Amino acid sequence: MFKTAGGLVALATVLLLAPSASAQPIEIEHAQGTTTLDAVPQSVMVTDWAAFDNLDALGIEVIEGVPASATPPYLAGRVPADAQAIGSLQEPDIEGIAAADPDLVIVASRSRTSYPMLSGIAPTIDLTVDNHDLIAGVEANITRLGAIFDREERAGELVAALDAKVEEARAAAEGKGTGLVIVTNAGRLGVYGPGSRVAWIYDALGVPSVFDDVDDSDHGGDAISFEYLLETNPDWLFVVDRDAGVGGEGAARALLDNDLIHETGFWQNDRIIYLDPAAAYVTMHGYSGLMVLLDQVIAGYEDAS
Amino acid sequence: MRSGRAAIVIAILALLALVSVAAFLTLGARGSWSFVLSFRGKRLLALVLVAYAIAVSTVLFQTVTNNRILTPSIMGFDALYVLVQTSVVFFLGTQMLVLADPHLRFLAEVVVMAGFAWILFRWLFLGEERSLHLLVLVGIVFGIFFRSISTFMQRILDPNAFQVLQDALFASFQNVDTTLLGVSFALVAMASLVLWGVSHTFDVLTLGRAQAVSLGVDYRRTVMTILTMVAVLVAVSTALVGPITFFGLLVASLARALLGDSLHRHVLPAAVLLAIVALVGGQTVLERVFSFDTALSIIVEFLGGLVFIILIMRGAAR
Amino acid sequence: MGVVVALTMMLAVASLFVGISDVSLSTLFGAGAHDRAMRVLLVSRIPRTAAILLAGSALAIAGLVMQIIVRNRFVEPSTAGTTESASLGFLVVTIFAPGWPLMAKMLVAAVFAFAGTALFLRILRFVPLRDVMLVPLVGIMLGGVIGAVTTFFAYRFDLLPSVLAWTIGDFSGVLRGRYELLWFGLAATILAYVAADRFTVAGLGRDVTTSLGLNYKAVMTFGLALVAVISSVTLVSVGSIPFLGLIVPNVVSLMVGDNMRITVPWVAALGALFVLLCDIVGRIVRYPYEIPIGVTVGVVGSAIFLYLLLRARGSRG
Repeated sequence: MFKTAGGLVALATVLLLAPSASAQPIEIEHAQGTTTLDAVPQSVMVTDWAAFDNLDALGIEVIEGVPASATPPYLAGRVPADAQAIGSLQEPDIEGIAAADPDLVIVASRSRTSYPMLSGIAPTIDLTVDNHDLIAGVEANITRLGAIFDREERAGELVAALDAKVEEARAAAEGKGTGLVIVTNAGRLGVYGPGSRVAWIYDALGVPSVFDDVDDSDHGGDAISFEYLLETNPDWLFVVDRDAGVGGEGAARALLDNDLIHETGFWQNDRIIYLDPAAAYVTMHGYSGLMVLLDQVIAGYEDAS
Repeated sequence: MRSGRAAIVIAILALLALVSVAAFLTLGARGSWSFVLSFRGKRLLALVLVAYAIAVSTVLFQTVTNNRILTPSIMGFDALYVLVQTSVVFFLGTQMLVLADPHLRFLAEVVVMAGFAWILFRWLFLGEERSLHLLVLVGIVFGIFFRSISTFMQRILDPNAFQVLQDALFASFQNVDTTLLGVSFALVAMASLVLWGVSHTFDVLTLGRAQAVSLGVDYRRTVMTILTMVAVLVAVSTALVGPITFFGLLVASLARALLGDSLHRHVLPAAVLLAIVALVGGQTVLERVFSFDTALSIIVEFLGGLVFIILIMRGAAR
Repeated sequence: MGVVVALTMMLAVASLFVGISDVSLSTLFGAGAHDRAMRVLLVSRIPRTAAILLAGSALAIAGLVMQIIVRNRFVEPSTAGTTESASLGFLVVTIFAPGWPLMAKMLVAAVFAFAGTALFLRILRFVPLRDVMLVPLVGIMLGGVIGAVTTFFAYRFDLLPSVLAWTIGDFSGVLRGRYELLWFGLAATILAYVAADRFTVAGLGRDVTTSLGLNYKAVMTFGLALVAVISSVTLVSVGSIPFLGLIVPNVVSLMVGDNMRITVPWVAALGALFVLLCDIVGRIVRYPYEIPIGVTVGVVGSAIFLYLLLRARGSRG
């Protein structure tokens, strides 16, 4: 009798403890502190497209809120149809998030100022990535998300795939000469230096920069003239076309198609690599965004050789 | 008769302000009431504080400078705010803007802005008499000067940093850092107390310098006191939510037009109530009609400019 | 006058030799001469210098014309809603017809600029004109209203960075084949000179103009059209250069008075000189990067203007 009762109690205890045993509280360190999660989140709201990109890559299907605007075209089909729109990238709809009462809220870069407010409502993490070590930052985020959603294995695969892709791009770039990343915006040219959001092309891929002074890390998006391109004459030109969404595809190419640029080696040898503007500008901290960009880099190098 | 009109106008405005407040707190609420009320309550407090600061500072600035056109923001204050913020990012980096102790940053901004305003006002308004259009011009030039320096710094900044900065430059009532409410409240209360102490001089100052002096007002000291407090108020409001250029002009002019007189005991409460109606009501409309997509400052800029032009036209046609 | 023209010429020549590529007398004609220097000179330096001269003189003239027909010293395209209207027009055509050629876009911007300025003048009719500072204030208000509409749409269509970029004047993109619209500016300047007397008369008011046998409305429309074309052409080609139309005519007026027949050449020359100076500075200060002209003119121009205001005050007291 006692034995049976004791057995029942034991059984009940095991049954009760079972779910929590596999979901121990985990502590997530992130850009703005440490957040403790009691269990695997069953609903998550993201205020940042790069973070959405990473969740999507991990196959997480409990995304209930996404930004209302600026959806990168390559992600458009991946957004759950019933996901709630939770405000702009800069101003998340805090009340909407509070009303939905998600298990986890993710902020990053543009929405990170909402962290203090959101962290008072629901467990919130800040996945802002430091551009000075972008690849490692993205991989750390994937690993973090993998730990949170119990997808460590998948996260490991993604990190490995990313590493492999970086390695492939690195190999493709090796010995190919110098590079320069520019942005075209409203008919003007800006140059992206080390420390900018595309610095990983110089750092992670080992593309030698045409800058003499690599410490010049705060300078990104500086206005330059066509003469600058003519004189620095990088072997490869990477172009982020901010006008692509406005002036139609090929706006940057039309801008570069002129008598001065025709003189350059990169134009004559067709060594211009156009980077997906949404990926380069909005989701460069996301797995798929980064893979898109890396594939474009690799394809660019291979097509030309 | 006049007093009667003022009382009616103020009563109606108070009613409208109450309606706006009620609508702001309750319309379209989802989820738990306790959260909604406390969340909206804090934002409401911020909006009311900003409305109060802008209305009072604009009315008193116009009293002291003896005109109805100049406002602190037209004197380049919003541009100065942008410059202060840009300088913070420029010299100290983005991290500063996001992570530094907000109280410290806020106080530093208030001190810098108040200090500058004090110097500028002193130079402009306490020296010899100057023609009003010279002052307008100087104000506009200062505005462009500050804005150009900011743009210059922004051009040098990393585009990522610029993105963060751009967010900070839009007047935002959605993401008011409510941790700053306490400090702001204290500063506004302090300024109000000081102003209360000299409030008996307000109507006399409207008569002009010579009249005020002959009526026994210590002109220099009073004016400097008021201007310094105006600087604090403007600094608080701009630092709290960002630049809103024409708002003060809008509420001060509307208040006078509605009242038909310029007595401060009428104009001040009417302007404050109008400001509350416009900000709180405006934010309510924004959230329901545009669903967060557009910063209120854009709409205030649009409506403020529009209403003012209409006001000038009507005033002249009459 | 001679000094200003000589100085402008000197700087214009200097401007040909400022840049990243090695263009000098020796690389052009000397022993080490090579094709590239000549090509850079023809494709980049000469067009850029021409663009600067054209835009500088045209914008200053636009300011002068406005000041005369509005009879107010403090109006210029950016204090009358003109620049903002042109910008809105350009945004609208960029959103709805991105494929249109630049010329067509420019025309749309010019139509908007014209409409915006006409609206400004219409509003002014209801404003007591004796109040000098109300006029630019109304213009700035109107500019703010139109600018808010532009910002609204730019924000909605995620075009804010582009709008910010094209509203800041910048000569760095100027090349042969990419600035020629600015020659319209020269045409407008010449027309302003030819019509100078008419503008001066129109500036005296409708009644005086009519009694002198001139068609007031036609003169005003013509003036507005000149201003609209100049504003939109410069906006579309190199972006907006704030302030220029305000300070140059005011400085000239201090120097030689207000007879438009005399002031037009002065304003044109000084406008060109000023922009030239600012652009050379912008090219040198952060070499090899550039500081856009809109920014340099803003900083230098406002500083000069503050100095002028202070000096005027000092000499009075």
